[in-house]
Amino acid sequence: MLVWSRPGRMLIWLVFALVFGVLFLAPLAVILLSSLANQWNGVLPSGLTFEHYTDVARGAAWNAVKASLITGFLASTLALVSGTWAALALRVQGATLAKVLGLLFFIPSAVPSVSVGLGLLVAFSHPPLLLNGTIAIVMVAHFVLISAFTFGNVSAGLARLSPDFEQVASSLGARPAYRLWHVTLPLLAPYLVAAFGLSFALSMGELGATVMVYPPGWVTLPVSIFSLTDRGDVFAGAALTMILVAATLSLLLGLERLTGRQTR
Amino acid sequence: MSVPAFTGSNVVDVDAAKIRGAGSNVHFDKVSVAYGTHVVLHPLTLDIAPGEILAMIGPSGSGKTTALRAVAGFVKPASGRIRIGATDVTDLPPYERGLGMVVQNYALFPHMRVEDNVAFGLRAQGADKALIGERVKDSLATVGMSGFAGRYPRELSGGQQQRVAIARALAVRPRVLLLDEPLSALDAQIRRNMVEEIAKLHRDLPGLTILYVTHDQTEALTLADKIAIMRDGRVSSHGATGELYRRPPNRFTAEFLGRANLLPVTVAEAAAGPKGMATAKLGDAVLAGAGRSEKPGDRTLLCIRPQHLSLTGDEEHTNRIVGTLKEVHWQGELTHLVLDVDGTPVRVSATRLPVSLPERGSAMPLFFTPGDTSLVPEDVRG
Amino acid sequence: MADAVALPAPMTRRVPGRLWIVPPTALLALLFFYPLALIARQAFFDDSGVANVAEFARVLHARFFLNALMNTITISVAATAGCLIVGLVLGLILAFVPFPGSGVIARLIDTFIALPTFLVTLAFTFLYGSAGMLNAGLMEMFSLHAPPVDFLYSTWGVILAEVTVYSPFVLRPLLAAFSLIDRGQIEAASVLGARPFRIVRQVILPAAVPALIAGGSLCLLLTVNEFGIVLFIGAKGVITLPLLIYSKAIQESAYQVACIIAVVNIVLSLGLFGLYRLAAGRLGV
Repeated sequence: MLVWSRPGRMLIWLVFALVFGVLFLAPLAVILLSSLANQWNGVLPSGLTFEHYTDVARGAAWNAVKASLITGFLASTLALVSGTWAALALRVQGATLAKVLGLLFFIPSAVPSVSVGLGLLVAFSHPPLLLNGTIAIVMVAHFVLISAFTFGNVSAGLARLSPDFEQVASSLGARPAYRLWHVTLPLLAPYLVAAFGLSFALSMGELGATVMVYPPGWVTLPVSIFSLTDRGDVFAGAALTMILVAATLSLLLGLERLTGRQTR
Repeated sequence: MSVPAFTGSNVVDVDAAKIRGAGSNVHFDKVSVAYGTHVVLHPLTLDIAPGEILAMIGPSGSGKTTALRAVAGFVKPASGRIRIGATDVTDLPPYERGLGMVVQNYALFPHMRVEDNVAFGLRAQGADKALIGERVKDSLATVGMSGFAGRYPRELSGGQQQRVAIARALAVRPRVLLLDEPLSALDAQIRRNMVEEIAKLHRDLPGLTILYVTHDQTEALTLADKIAIMRDGRVSSHGATGELYRRPPNRFTAEFLGRANLLPVTVAEAAAGPKGMATAKLGDAVLAGAGRSEKPGDRTLLCIRPQHLSLTGDEEHTNRIVGTLKEVHWQGELTHLVLDVDGTPVRVSATRLPVSLPERGSAMPLFFTPGDTSLVPEDVRG
Repeated sequence: MADAVALPAPMTRRVPGRLWIVPPTALLALLFFYPLALIARQAFFDDSGVANVAEFARVLHARFFLNALMNTITISVAATAGCLIVGLVLGLILAFVPFPGSGVIARLIDTFIALPTFLVTLAFTFLYGSAGMLNAGLMEMFSLHAPPVDFLYSTWGVILAEVTVYSPFVLRPLLAAFSLIDRGQIEAASVLGARPFRIVRQVILPAAVPALIAGGSLCLLLTVNEFGIVLFIGAKGVITLPLLIYSKAIQESAYQVACIIAVVNIVLSLGLFGLYRLAAGRLGV
């Protein structure tokens, strides 16, 4: 509605297509292309093949996919529980404590992920809390980074919840636990699902902390992609990247259909 | 009759066929509420009799909603005690007070069907399935929503949702029903119907005590046995609806409950007793009206409502004043006249004008009966 | 509706209600703040427990550190500026000159937030790298012998990648702010004869400024913390603070130096975080 003339609008849309295409579409298309490429010396690849993908089905690449998926689900579930617990528990605190604690819960998302990894290394490299070199330390790193986001998402959802629902439930005789399970959580469900999806996506793409703490037997997809491209095996790296993208997007889409059906 | 302290099992004991439960009285004993240093409700002492509908009305910020929420348990009084029946509930959490609550935005649980919404309170208190089934049926029948048990709230209109909300509150056989501006979110037409339905509900359930908070005086006048008018955190007046309307105790009440013409007069003769007639002078006119405790020579206000002013006199309409006709507004059902009487604007509302009107600017007499007139003290603002 | 806003009265007067916050807080303290405290300790105290501010000062003056700090700040500021411009242009078009499917595009851009940051960098290698599409195309077209476009393995490559990745963080609050602008204002301005640029300047931008500030400060924070992009670019001269922490700790096992750099990085990040919270607070988010 800002521009009324047709040629004016066409021009604007052309600008948009250029910016959007160059910045956003091209990268995705190129990765897809390279994952299917046999050899790529000129402008376009010289041949297309699926062998990079089939290579994934066996060997180290498959382990990377497994590691990422398991870490993603586990860390996201734990972070969702922890973040939701914290968001709910914060509501019954006094105003100042709620503000201070609320801020503290966000701080893990504000510091560089590398420093979170470094901190875990420094803190848990000695007995009795020896986590260095175990799978657990990768889980902990992801958990710490993700809980800040789940906390933020669930808090935002709680803030948008009308207090009427819980108050009426209370007035009808529902004790706090009953009210939480039958009223609050069901009303929060869309936010919980969205938070889980976001957490999973973050975990799948996490590199900074993981690269600091991962043990040799637990290589996640991002770390694997990096080592592949670093030693020149770019096509395999591209294939793994496409798998990462596909896994993340399909989960997000699946979750969206889930909530869509609920709130229809 | 003393009502036993409410426990969860009360819900199960009462006979499902009888919706007539034993309502309780509600007693505010010097209840005040403050947020920090800001006092929202000054110490309030008020009693609501069992089975009575009390309407708490007033402008925004008057403290009426705060009082209701204090009864519900969502607001902690800074001082004072609240009793429901024989039980001091001040320290009890909301879910142990035996109440039912209906709010402006219905707050039906969107993820549950109508029947599950209505059954919620009973399930939360552990009632058995048979009782739940009967109560849900009864409650839905009471509000006329029997066919909607399987629907979801989003499939219902505003008025239907509010009726389900009322059914949900009634299903737990509350001792007191709290209604917090229940009709404010509804269209005017639906609101009119709902007011009549709530009035019918009150007739069908004579034992149910109801606290009804609203800013709409029409709802209050239609529904309430007693009205408490709130202003700036205090009770401006409290009494039976008719009495408050016919003989308002102060200016604020006179103007808040319906329209009022308030003429500054000087008292000539004091009233014989608290229900007697006094006379007052407005210029040359001597007017009779219900008095209170005025003394001769006092300056006070004479209250006469627009619909009680007549353009023709007869042996009943003995009070007569003269004013200058300023404006005429036809409004479909009513015609409004605005006259100037010694500098005070006076409104007349008539369904029909018996005589042809004089020109604007000319003098017109107005007649009214002493029975419709009352003397009202000016507000003391402190 | 309510004529008074009630302070949250505790829903239960029993003590346990307030104690529920303890487990998550304890977890946060153990897994995050305790390690952070240890980082600070290792930065300022050497292994025998003696305060060693000299080492801290030495690192702060070292060339590799100052170089990384300079890079971090320049890249961050430049990328944020780029994000603001791209976000503003795309946002204006999506909100006010919509085309069929613009809703889908907006959602698509939103989805990019979920993707890892290094994905863009990898793609850029294929697009703009020395053996990439752009260079190969130009070499073919103009019969060149050496790849002409060589910005990727420099700060500019990092900046471009970060602009791509972080523009959505400006676009989102901007679109939200734009959706709140009363369309009637714009139509009234148009009827009164204002041209598009004037409308943008005088009606739309003032409403957009809080969102721009919030989105901009968020970008500053995120770009200062960015690791994956810088790692994948892997250019010799382009080292930022997070990458320096990684190389010092993992590649050189110089943990104390890594901790010192981490302390500086964390302080910088927390400062930017505070700035972002202030800006977002003004936004009324």
